[in-house]
Amino acid sequence: MLNQVSFVIVQALVSLKRNIWLTIASILTVMTALILLGGSVFFLANTSNLATSFESQIEIAVFINDNQNREQVIDLRNQIQVMAGVDTVELTAKEDAIIEFQESMGSSSLLEDLGGINPFPDKITVKATDARLVEGIANQIAEINGVDKVRYGQGILEKLIQFTDWLRWIGIAVVAAFAFASFLLITLNIKTNVNSRENEIQIMRLVGASNGLIKWPFFIEGLLLGFIGGIISIGIVGIGYNWLLQYIITTLAFLPVVADQMFMISVFALMLIGGMIMGVLASVFAVRKFLK
Amino acid sequence: MISIKNVSKIYSNGARALSNINLEISKSEFVFLVGPSGAGKSTLIKLMYREEEATRGQVFIDTINLSRLNPKQVPLLRRRTGVIFQDFKLLPTKTVFENVAFAQQVIGKSKQEIKVNTLNILELVGLSRKKDSFPSELSGGEQQRVCVARALVNKPQILLADEPTGNLDIDNAWGIMELLDKINREGTTVVMATHAMHIVEKMAKRVVKVEEGRITDHKLGEAY
Repeated sequence: MLNQVSFVIVQALVSLKRNIWLTIASILTVMTALILLGGSVFFLANTSNLATSFESQIEIAVFINDNQNREQVIDLRNQIQVMAGVDTVELTAKEDAIIEFQESMGSSSLLEDLGGINPFPDKITVKATDARLVEGIANQIAEINGVDKVRYGQGILEKLIQFTDWLRWIGIAVVAAFAFASFLLITLNIKTNVNSRENEIQIMRLVGASNGLIKWPFFIEGLLLGFIGGIISIGIVGIGYNWLLQYIITTLAFLPVVADQMFMISVFALMLIGGMIMGVLASVFAVRKFLK
Repeated sequence: MISIKNVSKIYSNGARALSNINLEISKSEFVFLVGPSGAGKSTLIKLMYREEEATRGQVFIDTINLSRLNPKQVPLLRRRTGVIFQDFKLLPTKTVFENVAFAQQVIGKSKQEIKVNTLNILELVGLSRKKDSFPSELSGGEQQRVCVARALVNKPQILLADEPTGNLDIDNAWGIMELLDKINREGTTVVMATHAMHIVEKMAKRVVKVEEGRITDHKLGEAY
């Protein structure tokens, strides 16, 4: 048993070494495919992040009728707070609103100038958990007694959601296309590699090698090709993405970027494991064809 | 040793290769299969190491019915049967030593055992000095000797040879025949398909003539 295990491992390593050009071609293919895959995942994450960042800026402004006293206003705020889909609620009392306005105008006597009448209503600023819920929440709030007006950027909101949906779909389409391309590149390359060794497989069968013993070296070769290609591609994508992050942070600071370490590690793990799985499956399926 | 009973073989494309063949080969016999190209000699050899299965009839090696062999048992049969071909079938990326060692590695022999057996068999076929050469560095005759060494290293009871001298000049062909004769005298059953009638005549062994998938003539141990 031990003899056969060491035979299988040595067999795989020797074969990778003696078919060195095929090995290099396969590693480069796996590497290119995984760079496309990893790069597209980062692209998706950033487009999705950009979309979420746009959407998070949408607020509902709820203006309260002047005839509501303080307790009623707080009660209104509490009612809105517990509504489904509401994320945060912030009350700006009319007294604070005029002070804010005064400050922004650079004046200290606005209230006196207006004859002591505060024209600002109490205002509740509502943020939804999802931009798609904004319209429904706004309509619900408008129905509540004591609410005067509700504003949420009607007309613009729909266009914004259309745009962010489109942004997300592009990200998903890019990942799907590149994942498919990587799968094809890796499996076709390894299949071609195995097919070119049909003679070797036939000879192994001829001298009485069991199917398992024929398959295992190819299994290990596929795993190693996936692993080496994966490591190189992670290096390239990692360095490339970090460079891009630095560039964006220093020159286009207003653009939100995904720089979460855990997320990056997950993508790298996906690339490595994906490459190894594709390498192994392609090898084993290609060899199986020759084992009757 | 080898028993072929009422065997017919029709390939999946409809081509009929063998029709109702009956053949008994005893232990330690040397049998030539002769006949024109496409007569069915190679198919008959392939049935004996279960590369092909009979469409009808049965093939036995000792008491093993090859038609009833499940795929997992086929490698075990192949370890008892050495096979050599006209086109050698050596692994181009392995040295002479590694090609011969390979047949033992796949059945799990120890490193020490493999080394001793391989060096002994290379001595027998006269290739000790070329053990580190790659097949592309050898002549046709030398390559065929490596194949004989590989086929024999696990001490099979049967050696099947499909046109083993087909790619060799006369001197090299005789070298291989002397080797096969020696192996046969030591007790291995040899079945060899060939076109080379000068070899068949001179060796004076049992001859089975195959034509259009049928056995048409049969001579025992005399000049044909």
